[in-house]
Amino acid sequence: MGLSVVDPSLFSSLDPVVLQGSACAACAAHVFPAQGTCPMCAGIEVAPVPLPTAGVVWSWTTQRLAPKPPFRTDEFAPFSVGYIDLGPVIVEGWLLGKTDWMIGESVRLALAKAWTDDGETVFTYGFEVAE
Amino acid sequence: MTGGVNDVYLVGCSRTAFGRFDGEDQDLAEQAVRGALADCGLSWGDVEFAAGGTNGETKPDNLVARMGLTGIPFVTVKNGCATGAVALGTARNGLIAEQREIACVVGYDNHARGAFSASPARYGIGDWYGATGMMVTTSYFALKIQRYLHEHDIDPRILGHVSAKAFDYAASHPLAWRRTPVTVDEVLDSDMVNDPLTRLMFCSPDAGGVALILARGPRAFDLCDKPIRLAAVELRGRRPGSFEVFSPWLSPGVRTSPSVDAAAAAFRAAGVRPQDVQIAQVQDTESGAEIMHLGETGLCAPGDQGAGYLTGDYLAGGRLPVNTDGGCIANGEPVGASGLRQVHEVMTQLQGRALGQQVPGHLRIGFTHVYGAPGISACTVLVAEGASS
Repeated sequence: MGLSVVDPSLFSSLDPVVLQGSACAACAAHVFPAQGTCPMCAGIEVAPVPLPTAGVVWSWTTQRLAPKPPFRTDEFAPFSVGYIDLGPVIVEGWLLGKTDWMIGESVRLALAKAWTDDGETVFTYGFEVAE
Repeated sequence: MTGGVNDVYLVGCSRTAFGRFDGEDQDLAEQAVRGALADCGLSWGDVEFAAGGTNGETKPDNLVARMGLTGIPFVTVKNGCATGAVALGTARNGLIAEQREIACVVGYDNHARGAFSASPARYGIGDWYGATGMMVTTSYFALKIQRYLHEHDIDPRILGHVSAKAFDYAASHPLAWRRTPVTVDEVLDSDMVNDPLTRLMFCSPDAGGVALILARGPRAFDLCDKPIRLAAVELRGRRPGSFEVFSPWLSPGVRTSPSVDAAAAAFRAAGVRPQDVQIAQVQDTESGAEIMHLGETGLCAPGDQGAGYLTGDYLAGGRLPVNTDGGCIANGEPVGASGLRQVHEVMTQLQGRALGQQVPGHLRIGFTHVYGAPGISACTVLVAEGASS
């Protein structure tokens, strides 16, 4: 794969980028990141599942002040965070490319630079405006 | 009928000033406990059961080293923002289950300056979540109110009205922390922290201590001219569909809230309706939280909060005065003490001896609500009885 990411377990694929959740065999609830039990129905039969890569902004905010550690960054600039409705699950993640958003905007999954580690770029996931 | 053997009453209370504090954490607890005992003419030797909580490192049950080694059971609780209410419920249950008469409840904290810094591992989340800047409480509150304002079509300017009301109440409260009145525009124009929430919309962690003395049965009426019956104290956790802090995902569909569940349970247990409430405290970690919690507790129809602020419903002369001591926004939030501060304020209002702005008229039914991580809420219903009921 080659790319360095903040946590490989978040992804089912990096090229193209796809997030990995888990789905419950009993109640079909999807969660992210993948986990071994179902918090919705207390089921224990769950399996990893790739999540949809397109959705709409369910809520958003822009982080205007640098968070305290354990936040990592090379150089702080305000960044947006949102909850993205992907259909079976609403996922929290960065919103990329601007700092003023509207609920209901269409977005799609993308990789974004999180920080640099020994000269190597480490990526996380985010969502950008869908064309 | 008053003073039934399983009726538990608030008979004494005391709080410290809230704000920055240089002493030891348990100085705050001791000051509050001594004040509450004096308030109802008791001494530590009269206390038969105690419950206390703090979010800090000290051990509440070790307060006996200061107060006296009387051998009583002292239960320590640690339930985040719900700590005070859980301690109160524990003491109430202790009095009834063990048929004791007098209990002491205490909550205190002395937090360092600035927002809490949270560790992902404590919440069972990977390190990536904190490292990418999503483990931020102010961000959570903003995301939650942003959605709420959208769903209920509430003008974001109402957020400014919430804080302005808090500082207005606090201006006349001698023990509140931030007592300088601030206008709605000043709130809205202060630095944006997390859209749509500005700096003056947030409470800050600080220091404070509160203690209450409870009495079971007819004894309460010997200790206090106007005992306040603890008609309900109910704690609830989250169910599927709730929207809690530090959640990398949410389930689509029906929203639930531990606040909705705890409030409904408290009203049911007390046999009163939300519209019967005459004075209330709701968790206002930031101004959006007060708006949401007025709706979730049933004190206001969801979506109608904006009109309520604009017409003065929540002011001292209004339909339902809310957070009349300035709430968390003006008192700060020493986590262990905050829920008991609410009870202290409603208790003293019902007794007609509020430290700050006394709500006019004859008050009989009060309500308190706390809410916090990782998705818990506790509500109380307080009823003034005695000669006037």
